[in-house]
Amino acid sequence: MELFIQVVVSGLLLGGVYALLSVGLTLIFGVVRIINFAHGELMMMAMYLTYWLFHVHHIDPYLSILIVAPALFLVGMGVQRFIIQPIFDSSALMKIFVTVGLFIALQNLALMLFKADFRTIQTSYSMATLDVAAISISVPRLVAFGFALGLLSGLYLLLKLTLVGKAMRAVAENRVVAQLMGIRVQRLYLITFGMGSALTGIAGALLLPFTYVFPTVGGIYTLLAFVVVVLGGLGNMAGAFLGGLFIGLVESFSGFYVSPALKEAVYFVIFILILLVRPQGLFGVGKGTEEVGLK
Amino acid sequence: MMKRCSVLGMIIGLLLISGFVEMALSQPVRIGALYPVSGSLALLGDESWRGAEIARVMKNQKGGVAGKQVEFVKVDIPDVSAAKSEAERLINREGLKLLTGTYSSSLCLAASEVAARAGIIYFEQGGIADQITARGYKTLLRSCPKAQYFSRSQIQFARDFVAPKIGKKPNEIRVALVHEDSAYGSSISKNVEAEAKTGGVQLVSVIPYNKDAVDLSSVILKLKNDKPDVVIGVSYANDAILLGRQAKELRLDIKAFIGTGGGHSLTSFQQALGTAAEGVLNVDFTQFEVNTKFTPGLKEFVEMYRKMFNEPPRSGHSLANFSGTNILFDLLEKTGGNMEAGKFRQTAAAVEQKSGSTASGWGVKFDDSGQNIFADTFIMQWRGGKLVTVYPEGPAVMTPLLEAPFSK
Amino acid sequence: MRGRIPLLVVLAGLAVLPVFYSAPYFLHMVILIFFYIALTEAWNILALCGKVSLGHAAFFGLGAYTSAILCIKKGVVPWIGLFPALLVTFIGALALAIPLLRLRGPMFTLASIAYAEVLRRVAMVWRDLTAGAEGLTIPFTPGWENLTFTTKVPYYYIFLILAGGSVYIVHRLYHSATGHHLRAIASDEEAAQALGINTNKVQLVALFWSAGITGLLGVFYTQYVYMIEPEWAFSSTLFCLQPALNGIIGGLGTIWGPVVGSILMTPLGEYLRSYLGALQQGLNFFIYGLVLIGVVMVLPGGIISPLLPLLRRLISSKASTHAPKEGL
Repeated sequence: MELFIQVVVSGLLLGGVYALLSVGLTLIFGVVRIINFAHGELMMMAMYLTYWLFHVHHIDPYLSILIVAPALFLVGMGVQRFIIQPIFDSSALMKIFVTVGLFIALQNLALMLFKADFRTIQTSYSMATLDVAAISISVPRLVAFGFALGLLSGLYLLLKLTLVGKAMRAVAENRVVAQLMGIRVQRLYLITFGMGSALTGIAGALLLPFTYVFPTVGGIYTLLAFVVVVLGGLGNMAGAFLGGLFIGLVESFSGFYVSPALKEAVYFVIFILILLVRPQGLFGVGKGTEEVGLK
Repeated sequence: MMKRCSVLGMIIGLLLISGFVEMALSQPVRIGALYPVSGSLALLGDESWRGAEIARVMKNQKGGVAGKQVEFVKVDIPDVSAAKSEAERLINREGLKLLTGTYSSSLCLAASEVAARAGIIYFEQGGIADQITARGYKTLLRSCPKAQYFSRSQIQFARDFVAPKIGKKPNEIRVALVHEDSAYGSSISKNVEAEAKTGGVQLVSVIPYNKDAVDLSSVILKLKNDKPDVVIGVSYANDAILLGRQAKELRLDIKAFIGTGGGHSLTSFQQALGTAAEGVLNVDFTQFEVNTKFTPGLKEFVEMYRKMFNEPPRSGHSLANFSGTNILFDLLEKTGGNMEAGKFRQTAAAVEQKSGSTASGWGVKFDDSGQNIFADTFIMQWRGGKLVTVYPEGPAVMTPLLEAPFSK
Repeated sequence: MRGRIPLLVVLAGLAVLPVFYSAPYFLHMVILIFFYIALTEAWNILALCGKVSLGHAAFFGLGAYTSAILCIKKGVVPWIGLFPALLVTFIGALALAIPLLRLRGPMFTLASIAYAEVLRRVAMVWRDLTAGAEGLTIPFTPGWENLTFTTKVPYYYIFLILAGGSVYIVHRLYHSATGHHLRAIASDEEAAQALGINTNKVQLVALFWSAGITGLLGVFYTQYVYMIEPEWAFSSTLFCLQPALNGIIGGLGTIWGPVVGSILMTPLGEYLRSYLGALQQGLNFFIYGLVLIGVVMVLPGGIISPLLPLLRRLISSKASTHAPKEGL
């Protein structure tokens, strides 16, 4: 019984991490409606930056968020402005290829700069645990969980209450009409991409204390983030959180009861099934998703 | 006048002849070196390459092989297709007659197939899968231990050292195996299962996992469920660390952990886990805290490594390739530089050097399948932040201690 | 007929090439190029209807493993083994058929990536069947009946036929009604449906051709490399990204684009890896990434698009009677 609870707890903590991965993506995806195959690479860049700040300047990763987030904001804006915007009106095919090209280029740039070595950091709290009864809760994962919740709630409030947020929702709903209403769509896209990237950057900084970064880590994270976002429903904040938790639990359970070697395969299969059976996700509304290919 | 001309002519003639002889003599001995230095195997592939390169540099400083300088034609083989392509290119385009490498078993399989079909000797120094020599190719030689030796050491150690210390009979001790699912992990896994059977040891569970996983808590939880005394682990660099960390977080309670080289031999393993790595045992190629009477040439190797690469060796893979390359050079000396496969193999079969005679402490004796049966695996333990050799007695510097791992 | 002459000349030249020049490494390079021409053309079939698959390794691996397992475990000769291999590939394609029909654009691409990943992991874990990561080695029993040879020349001809065959299939498909329908779907699926095109059937036809050729390539290429293991057989770089790169850079949705792309990229890739890879990891693929971005932004029709008008002027008017915007 105790092991069962631990499986659940581990699954939830893992789910928190996955939710964190997908916060930025769900925002970008929800508003700009672009599938960015290089999303994981943003995370990778943030992790390398955090690593460098810790290793060379001894800045604690939680503190380095103050640097990483703005840095990634700028990177995100750059990607939107110079890579996505020029081909925004091309076919979906071209958009896929340009982000795939970006993914290949960034991944290999990292390989060139940092070699294939994995890197991780050792902080005083890297292996700290909170022990409740006989259950161990990893502290850095708990912090990541907390941040996931916090960031998603914050995002939700932003979209609901602020002018920028409302503009984002307007553009998400109908780009043309939003433009007619006077919203400067291109500028909004820049802000959205920047914000989404900054959020992804925060995720990266939070992950480094207990996981590692290597040049090809982005690919895995991209796929995971998409699984979570599709599951939760595009552009749906609560959905992204719950989707993350769901995948975390699925992975934890299939790892324990089936085999750790197949746990990723299980959630990929679930992903394909969701796309077939309920492409709007478990909680999604499905509005405006035709552009990205869901019917 | 005539006499002076003829003397002059003779001198010029002699100079020319010696020039040609010089040129022929200074044709270097060219050997193909195939290692994965990019991609996911890059770290240990590069470490392996360094060992070979050091051997070459040192050999050239001493005059080379059969009087000629040695040159490596180094190629990067990040995947199986590349291994095949490069082997093809080295044999057909560069005209090489001898290839070495490879660190990874699957890459070795691909490249040595090409060599075998072209009748060219492939000298493997790092891939441990039994299949490499089991194919029965007359062109293949392997200087390092194979998977079977690793697993044999592990089961023997569990049975003969751990069991008595915890008051259990050999058939009572519970052993679990955790392994990454690529060729490296799978080949060890097969052997552990076989050795456990012949050694009369209970293998209570076998848990494969993917080395790129972000989270391995399910592996630890399964272990907690199966309650083994000893866990044998086969991991690469990242996963070794992740497993260790999560074992500590989830408070895995076991008597001993025996790694199988790979990630558990790396300095980065100890750096990332700190005191939690204390007590972790490891079966692997020779590492550096070892009785140097057993490993002549080790100190010089480490010095040269530091000089050439500005850091201490990252794992014993470089040492294994250093030793292996020297064995290769010795064979070449004996054949006088002749790389013809039949002659080479014949010469190899006649060599016999006992254990403790090379920098890695290995002996040399090649059996019919091309395997060096005097290549040994030793057992190491992380003590005081260093990976010290604890078994067998010959190379050991400390006696093994039974310490619960991942607990400090 | 006049327009066909340059093509026949080239084909004749290729057919007799090994007689005059058979340096093994050169032949190896040409075999690689033929392989990638065939693979890229196969991938291209699906791209004709606007579906980008980045999971084609799934079909390659299914075909390759079926034939290899039958050959090694049951002694079935690959010439016969390729039929079960095709069958398994088609079944695998069926699994991807529903996502194909129901999803568009990027979502299908994601599904295809996930699919190849799942198969790779299953191949790793199902050791009883596939020997897992240790891989299987094709036994060395040379002879036409075993599809194993001691020299490169027979492989050269086999892959020449595969490459030529794929180009021919794409050519026929492109100019057939199905081809037109595929391109209509790429343009606007709903409009195509409104015109009465059975979009489901047409896309399935494309899928089966695409997967089938890829699976077949899996069978033959394994016989050339002599071994198979999951990381390689289901490799995303070698069999998912590379054909996509070749196709886009050469010219997406055209008949000759994949040929141009493969001829350009294959030697470039080998060269970059052989001579620069040891110096700087990742440089070759980094260049690919930049080229891909560049091509999409500057030359979305691929390299072939500026060349087409030129080529058309060289070929007879036969081409112009039914010349669509792309393709010959």
